[in-house]
Amino acid sequence: MSFKTALLFPLVAACLLAGCDKPEAPKSAAAPAATPSAASYLDTIKARDKLVVGVFSDKPPFGFVDEKGQYVGFDTDLAKRFAKDLLGDEHKIEFVVVEPASRIPFLQSDKVDLILANMTVTPERREVVDFTNPNLRVAVQALVPQGSAVQHLDDLKGKTIIVTTGTTADLWLTQNHPDWPLLKFEKNSESLQALANHRGDAYAQDNLVLFSWAKQNPGYRLLPETLGDEAPIAPAVKKGNSDLRDWVNQELARLGQEKYLLKLYDQYVRDQLAPDTDPNAVIVEGGEWKPGGGA
Amino acid sequence: MTFDLAFMLSTLPAFGRAVLTTFKVGLLAIGLSLLVALMANVLLSFKRRALDMLVRAYVELARNTPLLIQLFFIYFALPSVGVQVSGFTSAIVAMTFLGGAYLTEVLRAGIEAVPVQQLEAGRAIGLSGGQLLRYVILPQAGLLSLPAVFANVIFLLKETTVVSAVAVPELLYTTKNYIALYYKTYEMLAVLTGLCLVLFLPLSLVLGLLERRLQRGHLGF
Repeated sequence: MSFKTALLFPLVAACLLAGCDKPEAPKSAAAPAATPSAASYLDTIKARDKLVVGVFSDKPPFGFVDEKGQYVGFDTDLAKRFAKDLLGDEHKIEFVVVEPASRIPFLQSDKVDLILANMTVTPERREVVDFTNPNLRVAVQALVPQGSAVQHLDDLKGKTIIVTTGTTADLWLTQNHPDWPLLKFEKNSESLQALANHRGDAYAQDNLVLFSWAKQNPGYRLLPETLGDEAPIAPAVKKGNSDLRDWVNQELARLGQEKYLLKLYDQYVRDQLAPDTDPNAVIVEGGEWKPGGGA
Repeated sequence: MTFDLAFMLSTLPAFGRAVLTTFKVGLLAIGLSLLVALMANVLLSFKRRALDMLVRAYVELARNTPLLIQLFFIYFALPSVGVQVSGFTSAIVAMTFLGGAYLTEVLRAGIEAVPVQQLEAGRAIGLSGGQLLRYVILPQAGLLSLPAVFANVIFLLKETTVVSAVAVPELLYTTKNYIALYYKTYEMLAVLTGLCLVLFLPLSLVLGLLERRLQRGHLGF
């Protein structure tokens, strides 16, 4: 084989790649449709008879896997309720496990209809996906070992901070303290393990997740300051998918009337937090966001 | 779908650093893997049952467990028994563990492929065991295993993407980082794929040419 023939390879490869697009088209009928056409996107879901939702598998109490191997949690069960009210059966749902950083790519590439994975609403994310009304409220805080010399957020300057890639904590630290060294992992569970192994001085993450973990793993404390303001957490759909967004908003309003989120809170969240926590400091019933909440 | 070219350009310095890290991890791991493979084959050359079994056990363990799991084991599990090494070191150790096993097999095959007449001829002119190894076996075995060694070199370089899992800022880590921060999924995956092609394809061609040249000179193929 001469050098010139070798050069042909990338060309052939490129042609093959380009050609691959077409044969795949029929298959994608089973996956979420690429663009919501004239017919409502809800009809697409009903025709498929299955709601495809991106959830977490390692972020108790919001999205995790129980002893029986079932996907459960505050967010996950809310998704099941959506499937029940939209398709008449809570089992007509397919869960796709996502990581924080893969949530938006999964929506952008039509791998899921809806992301219900504890996603905080930020201006940057609003530009690339459509959020529905919120279902939770959250602030970012930092967790440090009990014996650490770090007392306040500013003490972390120059120290290594662990974050999970693509979380609000990652975004906030990158924007506000670009010079603080960050150690990034894909999964929440990996970041927590890294903190336990002393690979960083602190772990910055949504405080709800940290409360829950710190309660089960004594020897850690939260720094008093929050990283940025309190923010809403909301389900998200692909940019422009107003059919599904509007349906979720109406559904959240309906569920608000029967205080459904409070039920989920009692089931999953209440025993994870301090006993005197006001549920309204955590959940947003009916999708109605009021800054400050009960906190 | 629109491509944000300005954004892609703005990420190039970070990708430049990532390329350096990728090569640093890759080349260190390849060098150490070759050393491990040589040592393993020296052990095999003693033809002792215990040593053979030791090498066999290592090769099977390394080849039958995924790199990602070896990496997680070193990075996340070993600290619980008091062994704590950085992400970079974990990456080198895990990749050497894996690469060493593959290259051990490659070299072994090369050594076994040296015709037995060559050994007999060497003995006939009175070469000692060490001389036989140095002047007869290794030069020929090295050349015979060259194609497979080079294939493994490319393989190991590409496998460096796995080490992003333990926060080593190589190509994939950098890509995912930008996707996570700015949601430029298509742009960043395009840069990653482009860089991989630009880096690995010429390397693969050069290694191919090198291989032909060396083998033609020595073996007369």
